Amino acid sequence: MKMKTMKLSVLALALMVTGFMSCTKDDTKESAPAVTKTDSISIPFSTSHYAFFSFKNGAVVPITDSASTNWDFGVHFVTLIVNSHASGPGNAGVITEEGVFDSFTTAPESGYAYDTTSTQLAIDDGLTTGWYNYDDATHSFSPKAGRFFVFKTTDNHYVKMEITGVDYSGFIPPNPPTTLIYKIRYTYQADGSRNLK
Amino acid sequence: MFQKIKYTLIVLSFFSNVSAQISIDSTAKMLDEIVVTATRTENKVSNIPLPIQVISEKNIKMAGSQKLIDILQMQSGLVIANNPLGTALQGYPNPFGDGIQMQGLDPAYTLILINGEPLVGRNAGIVNLGRIAIGNIKQIEIIRGPATCLYGSDALAGVINIITEDPKDNSLNLQTHYASNNTFGLTGAATIKNKRTSLELFGNRYSSDGYDLDKNIYGKTIDPFIDYSANAKFIYQINDQNKLTFSGRFFTEKQFNNYLIFPQSQPEVVKGTTVETDESLYGRFNHKINEGINYTASIYVTSYSNNAEVHVTKTDSLYEKIQLTEFLLRPEIQVNMGKNPTSLLIVGSGYNFEKINSSRYSSVKELSAWYAFVQKQFQIKGKTNIIAGARFDKNSLYPAQFSPKIAIAYRAKPNFILKGSIGTGFKAPDFRQQFLNFSNSLIGYTLLGAREVGHGLQALQQSGEINPDIDLSPYLKETDLSPEKSIGVNAGLDYTIHDRAVLKINFFRNDISKLIETYNLPFNKTNNQAIYSYMNLDKVFTEGMEANFNYNFNQNFSAAAGYQYLIAKDKKVVQQIKEGKMYKRDPETNVTSLVTPKEYKGLFNRSRNTANLSFQYNNLKHKVSAFITTKYRGKYGFSGLNNFYDGNLILNDDREFAKGFVLFNTTFSKQLGKSWGVQAGIENLLNYKNKLLMPNIFGRTYFININFKLEK
Repeated sequence: MKMKTMKLSVLALALMVTGFMSCTKDDTKESAPAVTKTDSISIPFSTSHYAFFSFKNGAVVPITDSASTNWDFGVHFVTLIVNSHASGPGNAGVITEEGVFDSFTTAPESGYAYDTTSTQLAIDDGLTTGWYNYDDATHSFSPKAGRFFVFKTTDNHYVKMEITGVDYSGFIPPNPPTTLIYKIRYTYQADGSRNLK
Repeated sequence: MFQKIKYTLIVLSFFSNVSAQISIDSTAKMLDEIVVTATRTENKVSNIPLPIQVISEKNIKMAGSQKLIDILQMQSGLVIANNPLGTALQGYPNPFGDGIQMQGLDPAYTLILINGEPLVGRNAGIVNLGRIAIGNIKQIEIIRGPATCLYGSDALAGVINIITEDPKDNSLNLQTHYASNNTFGLTGAATIKNKRTSLELFGNRYSSDGYDLDKNIYGKTIDPFIDYSANAKFIYQINDQNKLTFSGRFFTEKQFNNYLIFPQSQPEVVKGTTVETDESLYGRFNHKINEGINYTASIYVTSYSNNAEVHVTKTDSLYEKIQLTEFLLRPEIQVNMGKNPTSLLIVGSGYNFEKINSSRYSSVKELSAWYAFVQKQFQIKGKTNIIAGARFDKNSLYPAQFSPKIAIAYRAKPNFILKGSIGTGFKAPDFRQQFLNFSNSLIGYTLLGAREVGHGLQALQQSGEINPDIDLSPYLKETDLSPEKSIGVNAGLDYTIHDRAVLKINFFRNDISKLIETYNLPFNKTNNQAIYSYMNLDKVFTEGMEANFNYNFNQNFSAAAGYQYLIAKDKKVVQQIKEGKMYKRDPETNVTSLVTPKEYKGLFNRSRNTANLSFQYNNLKHKVSAFITTKYRGKYGFSGLNNFYDGNLILNDDREFAKGFVLFNTTFSKQLGKSWGVQAGIENLLNYKNKLLMPNIFGRTYFININFKLEK
């Protein structure tokens, strides 16, 4: 099964590369290198809104734009949404990957998941199965190492993203903090290819 | 002249008498101590093929401490383990108390007995050892390795049995204790012995102002409390064949809580009390049918309650009320046939009826179980002692358990004994894992015991907290949790080097499977919060070596040293690392990489190295004695230490280690005349403190005891 998908993606990659070559004047056999950036998203703890992020702009999108395709994913507490179906008008999808972020070089062609309904989200936020570890002693949560997300954005670009930490400010235990700060690292491919090198 | 010699002889004999009474026990005698826990009958330590440790009354008295936990934590291989929740509640009352980690296993895996009967009332798996007053303990027997074959559930790491005094004579003992933090203890014990009847009465009052290790946090680290305990034991020797024993125990502790809450991000002071009560009654009838057969029929009733109630001071409104009551009734019969220790057969059977009620359970829960055990003890050629036993537990809530054990001791030389044992143990799923029905008000998640899942989910769906589209039918069938299981192997030696030096070494390995852990259900509540329940999931092992060496320099001066080496690991984690599925993320560079097998250091809160060293000095001439005891606990892992998270919840980074520490206690005693004695001591002389990780340890503590004793 794994072998098969790999074969398929190799095939797809080959097709894509040849396709690329035939319709561009550029002589480079590979697409442009993807750009890796880090960013952080701050949201008040008590808010009921998601904070929205656009990979293209590399910035947080205002809440007033929540009904647009300007954002790719949103975050609130431990829940992540992608701009699709139940969550937004876009057609962004996501694949949750397990492995070493830096060694992951090619976005899959297919298999992207969507927020089918408001309770069936593409990204698992379950306490033991989700993307984070919850410390029941301190009530803090921190992202699981080795888990990251490959997005197909609303404008069909590929990006891999991992949450590297959840920080907080204004924390006086046992009261929750006033602000949560999500630190993310992502590699965005601007040319539309699946190359995430 | 003749007269003079006679006089000298009398003096001499008087002296030898005295020295026999209060001199340091001969080290070789250590192996002659009589214990009851290992076989449920009286036996010499040297005849028992199990690692067994006895803390004598003299040792306890010499330490002068008022707390059992202070005595236990100075013993080799025993470590205080707080529930992690207890340590993180900065400024909050620790609702669970402290427990003892043995052979690297959590406090929930050690059975605590008083005179062979269990204490009920575990909070988060921990029996608050503060419930046991120390003034009338005859000895503490510690068996390492599974003892389920005799005692049933919870005895996986072993058993700590606290044996109280049997009235031997007419006596009166009084003690006052005063220590730092305005800690005040008053103890009284009286024994009356007639030809056929004897009575022992014991009472203790113990109070403290508590202390505050972090002034930046409102409220004390340990809240003020006051304890009362009372024990009574009555023995009636009807005739040579028949004996009746009755005993009763009562304990209550009131803690005065005072801390801050943040209902709407605004601090509010709440005040209230936590009252813990523990009482028991015990009756036993011994009947000797003939030289070869005797039996014991007993009945034990105990109840425990914990009631916490706090009010918001400003509005005087109730903020929180938590109640827990537990009840246990246990009739039991044990028949002993044959000769001890050469050929003894023990068969026994009993019935447990337990009832529990908690504000966090949906209704009163009951559990009934019966059990039977058999044990054969025999000797081959006077050199090999063998004990083989098994126990069968049939419970209304989980599958029947069969727990066998075999232990062999071979006396290779008169002073050299090899010991080995293998046995199984189990720990029944506790009431919380089966019946909890709790929704967190702050975050909104729900935790359901395995047997609550069905109707807990239905109730949530009816109240609209679960989406009506979700099909609950797969969860309505009651799921049974299995008991956690263990196999324990112990092997070692007792070597009496000469009559003043004894070396004991024991290697151990415990494999525990079916550990009960939380998991979350594959759908969330409508508030997007998860629902958790319990499942048999993990496998862990602990292994290591314990060595103890006792040496008497002379009649006045002796020393004891102990060391434990420990490795404890989660087998699933070992497997995941092997498969290349365990990652770590450096919190500074944010770079993710694989964890290597070498990097994995094992379970949190286990010290690879612990050691202890103690000295006893007795000057008979001046009736003074000194007791110095030190305990070293090596570095140990702590999850989330200094907010270090590398994304895998396992111990694989040096930054996840908390520093080791040394506790150093010293006590001086002076006998004044026949009846009076005074003791003064310093506990934690080096003033070790760690407000976050070891809130149970106050800095340097001074105490003084005044003892009064009358004997006839």
